[in-house]
Amino acid sequence: MSETNGTASTAFRAAERLKLAEPWEVYGERSSRYEIHLNGREIELVRGPILVEGYGVRVFRPRDGGTGTGFQASTDFSEEGIRATAEDAEALTQYSSFPAKKIELPNGSTASAPSPEIRDPRLWDRPLETLQEYVDGLLRSFDGVPDAQPSFGSVRATLSETTLTNSAGLRANYPHTNVIFELAVKSTAGPEGRPPGEYWVNEIMRRLESHDLPDRVADWCRLARDARRAEPTPTGDLPVVLPASVLSGILPLGIGDRVTGAARLRDLAPQIGTVWGTDAVTLRDDGRVPWGISSSPVDDEGSPQRERTILDHGRVTGLLYDARHAGAFDTGSTGNAVRGGHFSFTEWRRFESAPGSATTTLVLAPGDGGSDAELIEAAGDGIWLQQLGWAIPDPVTGAFGGEIRIGYRIRGGKLAEPVRGGTLGGVVVAPEGQPSLLGSAVGFGSTAVLSEKLLSPTLLVRPLTVAGQG
Amino acid sequence: MADLRELEGELAATLRRLEPRTKFAEILAQAQSGEGVRIERKTTTMSREPRVRGAVIRAWAGTRWAEAATSRLDGASLHEAEAALEHALSTAASGGGPPGEPSTLRSESTDDASGSKRGLSSEEMLSFSRDVMRWATAVPGVSNAQAGVGWTDEERLYVNTAGARCYQMLHRVIGGCVPFAIENGRAENDYVYFGSLGSSELFNFMSEERVTQTAKSARELLSARAPPAGELSVVLDPSTSGTFAHESFGHGTEADQFVRDRSYLRPILGQTVGPATLTLVDEGSYPHGWGSIWFDDEGRASQRTVLVDRGRFVGALHDRETAATLHARPTGNARRSDFLSRLFVRMTNTYVEAGEWTFEELVKEVKDGVVLEHATSGIEDPQGGQMQLKVKRGQRIEHGQLTGPVRSMALSGKVLDFLQQIRGVSRQSDFEMTPGYCGKGHSDLLPVGSGGTFLLSTAVVGPA
Repeated sequence: MSETNGTASTAFRAAERLKLAEPWEVYGERSSRYEIHLNGREIELVRGPILVEGYGVRVFRPRDGGTGTGFQASTDFSEEGIRATAEDAEALTQYSSFPAKKIELPNGSTASAPSPEIRDPRLWDRPLETLQEYVDGLLRSFDGVPDAQPSFGSVRATLSETTLTNSAGLRANYPHTNVIFELAVKSTAGPEGRPPGEYWVNEIMRRLESHDLPDRVADWCRLARDARRAEPTPTGDLPVVLPASVLSGILPLGIGDRVTGAARLRDLAPQIGTVWGTDAVTLRDDGRVPWGISSSPVDDEGSPQRERTILDHGRVTGLLYDARHAGAFDTGSTGNAVRGGHFSFTEWRRFESAPGSATTTLVLAPGDGGSDAELIEAAGDGIWLQQLGWAIPDPVTGAFGGEIRIGYRIRGGKLAEPVRGGTLGGVVVAPEGQPSLLGSAVGFGSTAVLSEKLLSPTLLVRPLTVAGQG
Repeated sequence: MADLRELEGELAATLRRLEPRTKFAEILAQAQSGEGVRIERKTTTMSREPRVRGAVIRAWAGTRWAEAATSRLDGASLHEAEAALEHALSTAASGGGPPGEPSTLRSESTDDASGSKRGLSSEEMLSFSRDVMRWATAVPGVSNAQAGVGWTDEERLYVNTAGARCYQMLHRVIGGCVPFAIENGRAENDYVYFGSLGSSELFNFMSEERVTQTAKSARELLSARAPPAGELSVVLDPSTSGTFAHESFGHGTEADQFVRDRSYLRPILGQTVGPATLTLVDEGSYPHGWGSIWFDDEGRASQRTVLVDRGRFVGALHDRETAATLHARPTGNARRSDFLSRLFVRMTNTYVEAGEWTFEELVKEVKDGVVLEHATSGIEDPQGGQMQLKVKRGQRIEHGQLTGPVRSMALSGKVLDFLQQIRGVSRQSDFEMTPGYCGKGHSDLLPVGSGGTFLLSTAVVGPA
């Protein structure tokens, strides 16, 4: 990584020149991004390096019996720029208030916190070449496919070094990689008179692996063909089978928005002991999952990552805190300080945001439901959901849902014709006895799959409301 | 921080160095400042826009574009970004120039901030937010709310090797309130938002009456029915009509999708797609629009582009490259999310023009249906012609009468079927422009406006 060679010191350099009273914290990030954009099989744009180096300064001051917090971020490393950034942070404490008498910032260093695998070494050393090889492999996998080809896509890789320091003596530093891959696969196979079918691939990951591209491309082409010949979705309350790739668009926010110190402060968090799922539901948060996009040795305040149990056999057992929200409830941080805004995952430019409390990787325990085929058989007559459009839950009600981009009818315990269009929705959690995604989950696959911020088995939920023309 | 115009010398020097090695190069520099406040019952957070600025260089590399960007605007950093293009440009001189004509426009524009709240003090923002919070939580059952207001000043300076030089300052103000109602372990919310360019209308829009009405709606939703599921008549409120305009013919008419042969609309350009009452427009020059711009990021002035004219599909949105490929003219829709993001053909303010009906007349037409209110999101399917719209709440319609609120839901349908079943669009007095953010693919969010009045059609809806 030639642009960020040597030991990253972004936060340390800024902190050395800060003239601030304690307590304070500086989060730094130095990133290079490389991108290749496709128009069909042609490369239309190569970008990079796109260089960003910046830092965010946070200070805490006693105010009205609580704490005034000030935060400002900058890419300006001049004396004047650092001074102005610190002055902004200091000034903002005068207008901010938070009900924590004391905020305990972590100390120590990353030397004592082993790093999970979050850096793709090949991508780190040869970013543009690695992207180019990936794109070459991708396009080769479409060679000879007569009825399905890419129409639009991009692969964007970010190489970052994160540094943290604070007035409690913390010094943390770790490198990581992120990749966003998008591809529209278009198929013209199948019935005449219908528009082409498209399957939209959208993946966020820590590393680029091209060895399985031929198999994956074959799958995407099949889904694009099936999108073209899909039939209307039926209407009714039906058993639905949801793989981890669909659940990852629902559970992390649907659960994450409710089990944090921030939710507790809004009176939106459940009481410990509340029943949110069946006895089979055990849910943890773990910031150390190998190759997890939210994994890191320490959280975004510098607390070591760990595993925390949220639901044990369906009952709420714990909430997630960053240092500030922990201070509001006289408890300790659980290592869940996350920067990056509402969706709690941003692949870069995290230095621009102050941390809040959020989940890292949610880990849903597998069950004894067996393989996907066994769950489909158990569903009997229902829907296999392959892709749901923007199902993101409401942060207050937990209501989720969206359009079925592609799914399959399940008939007699077997996958039947593809379906498309119509909506599917429900609520993620509900009071005991009322239908919900977790409360109505009756089948848990035996293997967990990592998909973005979720490590989960496939679930059979009986029922969810499906609305369509069929 | 210094005005971007003070850095023009460095940008010009960078272009001069690039000129011998490429047929065309351009630089966009960007910076912004601003402040905002958000309060809840137990917390108050004041924030300032990050002190982040930078520039992106785009140069034609013979057969394709190459780009590099930096978050530092000093001469050495620009030189480093320029050097990063060295390899890509090594073969550029031997190829032809990029498609389309470059802009040669030289102009400066800032929005009309007269009467705006530019420079609104921290105390004024806090005071206003506290008023909003007080109005919301005065409604029984509403114990908390998020109330906030903020402003940003965004500078963009565009220069290219053809001589264009466009500087713009965009002053945006946004504010809103999300009241929470909680009862017996169930929580509900609703929202009211306003955002505009260079206008103080926010403070008129976010009135006590409107905030109170939103808080009552949040409480009402606690006991609201689940929405119906299936195909039925739908009346879209102005925010949902705007989202419909954006998702249906907005994304589908971004002409880069035409060039990729990824738009179901391309083959039907010129055909009648809906009733004569339907006109859809994208307008980057819409007065005070949240998505308005003076120039796009290829240095072309924003404009009004009619997409559907009285039911006939007549236009698309272009950058220089798509315009050249499709024998059209650029429409001022080439936009970057920021200096770190690539350029795409993007919408600005997209809206359905008003019709002749009243809301009451539209409801009377419906035997079995639902009003979709307070849009929360939408997505498009430019290839397959589907769309999804999600809303926070709605009202059931039975035998031409409104019969009570229903909870959040999603609409799904084929755009062309939906258009053909439009039976009415309501009057100008119902027109609203709603602020929002639009992505293209995974990210690249930028501000867009979506507008319309009430609109009656048929679609599939279900809980969401």
